[in-house]
Amino acid sequence: MAEKKTKKETASKKKETPKAAVSAKTEKAPAVKAPATEQKKARVGVFICHCGTNIAGSVDIPDVQEYAKSLPNVAFADNYQYMCSTPGQSKIIAAIKENDLTGIVVAACSPRLHEPTFRTATKEGGLNPFRFEMANIREQGSWVHMHDREGATDKAKDAIRIAVAKASLLQDLVPKTVPVEHAAMVVGAGIAGMQAALDLANAGIKTYLIEKNPTIGGRMSQLDKTFPTLDCSQCILTPKMVDVGRAENIDLMTCAEVENVEGYIGNFDVTIRRKARGVLTPAEAEAKGIVGGGCNGCGDCEAVCPVIKPNPFEMGMKPRKAIYIYHPQVVPLIYTIDWDSCIKCGLCVEVCGEKKAIDLEMKDELVKVKVGTAILATGYDLFPIEKKEEWGYKKYENVVTSLEFERLICASGPTGGHLVRPSDGVTPKKVAFLLCAGSRDNTGVGKPYCSRFCCMYSLKHAHQIIEKIPGVQPYIFYMDIRSFGKMYEEFYYRIQDEGAKFMRGRVANVLEDPDTKNLLINAEDTLLNRPIKLEVDMVVLAAAVEPAAETDRTRKLFGVSRSMDGWLLEAHPKLNPCGTTTAGVFLAGVCQGPKDIPDTVASAEGAASAASIPIHKGEVELEPYFAQCIEEKCAGCGMCVNLCPYQALSLVEKEGRTVMQVTEAKCKGCGTCGGFCPGGAIWMQHFATPQIIAQIDAFLIGGAK
Amino acid sequence: MREYAFFLGCIAPNRYPGAESASYKTAEKLGIKLLDLEGASCCPAPGAFGSISLEIWYAMAARNLCLAEQMKKDIALICNGCYKSIWEVNHKLKQHKELKEKVNEVLKTIDMEFKGTIDVWHLAELFYDPEIVGVQKIRDSVKVSLEGTRIAVHYGCHLMKPRKERHFGTTEHPTWLEEMVGALGAEPVEYRNKMLCCGAGGGVRGYDLVHSLDITNEKMINLKEARVDALTEVCPFCQLQFDRGQIEIEEKFGVKYNLPVLHYCELLGLAQGMSPQELALDLHGISCEPFLQKVL
Amino acid sequence: MPRTKGYPEALEKKLADTRLYEDERHPEFTKTVEKLSMSIPHMCYQCGTCTASCPSAPRSSYRIRKFVRRALLGLEDEALTDPDLWLCTTCYSCTDRCPRDIAPTDVIMAMRNLAFKRDIIPVNFLKTVQAIYTTGHGVPNNDVNRAARKKLGMNPEPPTTHAFPQYVKGIQKIIDYYELKKNADRIVKEREG
Repeated sequence: MAEKKTKKETASKKKETPKAAVSAKTEKAPAVKAPATEQKKARVGVFICHCGTNIAGSVDIPDVQEYAKSLPNVAFADNYQYMCSTPGQSKIIAAIKENDLTGIVVAACSPRLHEPTFRTATKEGGLNPFRFEMANIREQGSWVHMHDREGATDKAKDAIRIAVAKASLLQDLVPKTVPVEHAAMVVGAGIAGMQAALDLANAGIKTYLIEKNPTIGGRMSQLDKTFPTLDCSQCILTPKMVDVGRAENIDLMTCAEVENVEGYIGNFDVTIRRKARGVLTPAEAEAKGIVGGGCNGCGDCEAVCPVIKPNPFEMGMKPRKAIYIYHPQVVPLIYTIDWDSCIKCGLCVEVCGEKKAIDLEMKDELVKVKVGTAILATGYDLFPIEKKEEWGYKKYENVVTSLEFERLICASGPTGGHLVRPSDGVTPKKVAFLLCAGSRDNTGVGKPYCSRFCCMYSLKHAHQIIEKIPGVQPYIFYMDIRSFGKMYEEFYYRIQDEGAKFMRGRVANVLEDPDTKNLLINAEDTLLNRPIKLEVDMVVLAAAVEPAAETDRTRKLFGVSRSMDGWLLEAHPKLNPCGTTTAGVFLAGVCQGPKDIPDTVASAEGAASAASIPIHKGEVELEPYFAQCIEEKCAGCGMCVNLCPYQALSLVEKEGRTVMQVTEAKCKGCGTCGGFCPGGAIWMQHFATPQIIAQIDAFLIGGAK
Repeated sequence: MREYAFFLGCIAPNRYPGAESASYKTAEKLGIKLLDLEGASCCPAPGAFGSISLEIWYAMAARNLCLAEQMKKDIALICNGCYKSIWEVNHKLKQHKELKEKVNEVLKTIDMEFKGTIDVWHLAELFYDPEIVGVQKIRDSVKVSLEGTRIAVHYGCHLMKPRKERHFGTTEHPTWLEEMVGALGAEPVEYRNKMLCCGAGGGVRGYDLVHSLDITNEKMINLKEARVDALTEVCPFCQLQFDRGQIEIEEKFGVKYNLPVLHYCELLGLAQGMSPQELALDLHGISCEPFLQKVL
Repeated sequence: MPRTKGYPEALEKKLADTRLYEDERHPEFTKTVEKLSMSIPHMCYQCGTCTASCPSAPRSSYRIRKFVRRALLGLEDEALTDPDLWLCTTCYSCTDRCPRDIAPTDVIMAMRNLAFKRDIIPVNFLKTVQAIYTTGHGVPNNDVNRAARKKLGMNPEPPTTHAFPQYVKGIQKIIDYYELKKNADRIVKEREG
């Protein structure tokens, strides 16, 4: 309270100063740079939104309006229930005409929501749309000071005063239009990336599909069956894999990683590292003059290779050679050499013979492509569940993860689909499924979020063992069964009917009987209110998921943020879930947050649609927040050139002088150069020094009261 | 020679003086001098006192901490219960200014002030720490190898738990005490549900003896299954529960185990050549003879 | 409070209203427990990890999960008058495993503190206090032990308050500051005469 009073006193004491300060800056601005348009005497209109009771509930609107009227340069002030509604916008349009306004301030919500709305209204009223400034009195005002009406009202006045100061100095700006490259890139070729690439390709767009593994298919190709329909995962996936392999518009690069990204929406220059696979495709062979050569997937090399390593596709439960394919249905069907284990004995080269497909001296290649938009579909990994030590994963042999279970129950897996205990190869008769293993965990070890598909696949797992093992008893230890999708609750009903036992309690710990390697489960049946001690043959951990290992590196290359939980950050969680804050970069599938297959495919199609829009339009408008060089002040020192994170600046000779030049399309208006320039020679459009100083002055020195 | 103020607690000096004696002597052989902490009291018992009033528990433990602060020595101790009181109160008072001020208000009445200038250690963690002693030095100090014996470890609860506040790492599958047992030549033996509580804590031993003994008995069953020659621990209160507890278990439940229970310092003393008499093993409720016969 | 029906005593008991009524809830109780325990029982989602980790649960009706629930709902009377409150061995296994990062053990300790304020406390806890008040030790020395210490070449009295009884006065001052001895004596006398 004391502080507030002091501030008010200061404000009233210096009552006369701000006007002088503000007008002084107004006069100064043209001296710094001749603006594109003649600056008239500023006449600002202020519109205060009630947002129903969102704002009006804790802000005194009439008081704020009276205050706004008293501010320098304010020619008009009004308020309305919902400024974003049609009547609200009409008020702005009418007021511009009736009051000959030069700038508009709407005090309402965050500019992230309605800045475009009000810019359009400003434009319709006959002003340049960039003569609009928003004062956020909701997210940063009424909502956070809900129980402090006086404080929230004062803060709204501050925000409006600051916005008016800027609006008084706003200039006409014209967005720049740039052409869009008629090509797209998709990073990651799991089901999300494949679907997005297919959609883009089918829409007539050249699409580069980049996959770090030797084959496409991703996690879905490791699954046995899919819920709730129980169709075989590979059976529905492989046709799509084949389509991807054959699509004319798709340039598929496996064993490839994004190395570098430059540019901006419409014109991304992407460098791709094509890792040395050690094996030539028929096309590559032909390019080298080996007619009829290259890998045909015959597998002779694999047969002679003496090195045996665990196959990561089979979660390490099946061997592979140093020259290998993940599984028989890989796309492309080209063998790959694991350089870490290859001993370069040359047996494979020999057996390959005239095809000359194998090159043991192959090196990585860097390829550059230009694309208009990009989609990240980098997927997920399982959380390393051994970190939750109480369940004994990696300590007890018969504790497996859900992905290991998928391989063990899959006909093409290491056991031919016969579920057996890793310790002794015996078929388990009692299997416990531990849900929320590492999910919904606030200890700092696991993940605080719900991994979203574990409930459903665990129900499926229960069904699969009931179907395959006569007399088996699945136990599902759960906290809540989240079966929210189409036909999901019905699936839950079905599995319960098939005999799975649902135990409502989280498992506290698992212990192993050292002789039998059976597992002892301690949990509470919270519905019976009794502790349970249950001996089972096998434990399956429905481990939490986390972003795939290299997500962070990739997202940084594309300038995409991540949310607190590590998943990639969408532009808006509800209204723009596929977009990102980097124009032209989109998200598909689980990299944005846990999703089951239907949701992943839907998200991929959404991302593909969004990514195709700028390409089909052929051009994009860039916000005109570019840095501009004031050439008469520029000393040509070039220090800004190195500071620019976007390589947008360069030095050029002009009229015998060295001056800086901005490539506007590359400039993101970050202000690094403008803030640094020792000569004050850089003008940041829309965030110009005089505009910002006027805002600071308005805040610190106060306005009329 | 590193010097520590030796906080004795109650059970070691007043029930198992051999454990106290062994601590001084074994530590000295490993380069640690334990100094008398004159006027120290009960820590006080975290279960009994903490249940009545955490505030008084803080104040009483703080008085003991002040004695060591006056000596300008870190505290070393050999009991998990003491560790809970002395380590945790030291930690909490250092962390929470408000709590410290409250406690100092009380301490003022006896002309003392908690300043937060010392640290508290369990002797076992000092023994394990390679920068202070380390397993190798323990191994080097062995004169009478315990080879041929199978020894199980009981970690106890209040040393390592709650894990987040402490610094011992895993509380599900720890093995550092087993390493220290192995250093004496004995075979450390894993057994079912190793981390289960002894049953004595939280005032339960006094409140409901058979309940508390039933927990102990569950441990005894698992230990019997593992066919061990002895059980070792680092907490005289756990020791009391396992040692005297076996007599009570026989009385109440009619089952007999005769499993010798030794504090790690007693075990180390034996390995370093102390005699059973020097360790007052005859004061144990369960005879250590069968075990001693295997060793000596 | 559960509603009484005005039936004859036996029937009143047999047909006692077991429903939960809003007026049984004391939000202040939740807050006090949270402050004393420095924990967050209001975040419990009732998964049962605590009960399943509890060494006392399999041999009694003690359910730590239920106590955390009572803390969350503010069911003060139900929590403090339940004799199971005193069956926690404070092993902290529940605290180590709680996925919501609650410290159920400390919640129990806080509730015990609050129970004591209502004179609800097992006598053995108070006897420890009395012993410490007199000697400084919860488990004091005895003659058998003194003899053994002597045999070991040690001072029959350890260098604690036993060998330095002048320190006992300070301990008594602290305990008296909170009137704990007075209350302990009173409650023990009431229970045991």
